[in-house]
Amino acid sequence: MGKKRKHSETTQSVAQPKKEDAAPERPARTLLGWKDKNQVEDNNNADSPIFRNKEKLLVTCSRRINYRYRHLMLNLVTLLPHCKKDNKVESKETKGATLNELVELKNCSSCLFFECRKHKDLYLWMAKCPNGPSVKFLVSAVHTMEELKLTGNHLQGSRPILTFSANFEKDAHWKLLKEMLLQIFETPKDHRKAKPFHDHVFVFSIVDDHIWFRNYQISVHHNEADKLPRGGLDKMTLIEVGPRFCLNPIKIFGGSFGGPTLYENPLYVSPNQIRALEKKKKAGKFAKKVKAKTRRKMHEMSNPLEPDEFADMWKD
Amino acid sequence: MAMPVNDDTLVEAETEDQREEMSSSESEQDEDVKLTEPSKNAVYNRDALLDKLGDISWPENVEWIHKLSVDVDQEQEVDVNDDLARELAFYTQALEGTKEAFEKFQSMGLPFLRPADYYAEMVKTDGHMVKVKGRLLAEKRKMEEADERRKAREAKRLAKEIQAQKLKERAKQKKEDIESVKKWRKQRQQSGYADNGKDADMGFDFEDGKVFERSNKKRPGVSPGDRSGGKAKLAFGKGKKQKKRDGKNSKFGFGGKKGMKKQNTADTTDDFGKYNKGAVSGNKRKR
Repeated sequence: MGKKRKHSETTQSVAQPKKEDAAPERPARTLLGWKDKNQVEDNNNADSPIFRNKEKLLVTCSRRINYRYRHLMLNLVTLLPHCKKDNKVESKETKGATLNELVELKNCSSCLFFECRKHKDLYLWMAKCPNGPSVKFLVSAVHTMEELKLTGNHLQGSRPILTFSANFEKDAHWKLLKEMLLQIFETPKDHRKAKPFHDHVFVFSIVDDHIWFRNYQISVHHNEADKLPRGGLDKMTLIEVGPRFCLNPIKIFGGSFGGPTLYENPLYVSPNQIRALEKKKKAGKFAKKVKAKTRRKMHEMSNPLEPDEFADMWKD
Repeated sequence: MAMPVNDDTLVEAETEDQREEMSSSESEQDEDVKLTEPSKNAVYNRDALLDKLGDISWPENVEWIHKLSVDVDQEQEVDVNDDLARELAFYTQALEGTKEAFEKFQSMGLPFLRPADYYAEMVKTDGHMVKVKGRLLAEKRKMEEADERRKAREAKRLAKEIQAQKLKERAKQKKEDIESVKKWRKQRQQSGYADNGKDADMGFDFEDGKVFERSNKKRPGVSPGDRSGGKAKLAFGKGKKQKKRDGKNSKFGFGGKKGMKKQNTADTTDDFGKYNKGAVSGNKRKR
């Protein structure tokens, strides 16, 4: 048996390992390659493997969600065959960590989390896991597929065509949002549940700094699968299938469900503030009356009437 | 690349509920809160955003078939509050994008439209689509009914106008007729005819001689259902039964004697051909 070392010696040996034994530090890895430029160059020289989209999406919601918003969530689940639906998550401070764990357990790469507050306001968290980024939206103008006004219908699991308005290329935050929307809403090409035809189109359009979502069925009169009659594209019509909603970006975080804030919407006003303002407007009527009364009193006090000379004239 | 230090976790989201109470009390102090005014201290870390974009984005050489995304230019600014214009903008964006995508599919030689005989599960159930169809039909019916009501109203208005016009025309015609009669009387008086002469009416044409002429279709003294042209009336004096029969004949025509088909005649009585056949066959069976 060898000689026992002193405690101080062991700490020294751990602190200063030999150069040969120490493993080189791993460079930060991204989808494109490594962040180290030399590594990226080496990677480019090598034969690049065929790209495969293995995107998997977890869709879940908070407890006490409104029925309408639940329907919206279920509609998105039917539209996206590459998603997995999970049970409701408690909307607490620790929900970020919980959701990250869930995403990892379900073997997903992205997450849509519908968070309902006060049975009124719906927030949508859109996150790339585990490294981020994540975006928090306020969802408004919700119309679900169940509405009879939306008369279209299309194959379940068919891959959608995504159309983006040109102003997504305007700013850095819009570019990032476009990339996230593209990756989350596009069904992978060789997914087992995906159908081989394209009979609907998703519309993402920026109007008034909000992202508006629409889903249309493509209706074309044709005979064969891949041949259109002459002028067939001109006769093409679109019928809205639904759902439709509007996303107002609040914040973009660097991590998944948290982390440093990369972008904050300067025009965003929380629904709480709006409601408070409306309350204040309603309360304004009464406040005006009270103010008028006090003003009148003050005026009377500051301008007292002069004593009347003839007040005691007829008194005996 | 400098990353911001402010590490915002989800706590800020939770505190929003408490903020409402605060905001209502704060709002008493400053009355004019402008919601549209952008906040001055909003975070915008462009470099970090682009870095994150680089981290998550797909390689640039990815085939279009994986993305299926199309960028469409919006020609003009869209007014958010104008629902129709906004929805039209979305529709045109989708239509242009789809056309572009389909052209790409055709150039790549990929199938993209569902064949008529390809049946698979749809996003909406058949039951739901029946409801949709019912609603559309109900709407169509409503529109048709409204259209009919509108047409009826218009027709009523038109009918009133036409009626008034007809009445005017009749009054005018009457006036003209009276005037023509007066004229005729004047002419007679001038030419020296007596008013009560036998042939007073002869030889005068009023409006081509067709004003007081009886039409040929009306036959005086003949009932409307009489086919004999009034000859049946002459034969009515022969007897009560005959009278009745002749009256009916004149009305419906003589139809021949009825009920003689089943009467026996000498020939049918003498004919025994049918009976012998039966007897022979019966004997054979018995044996």
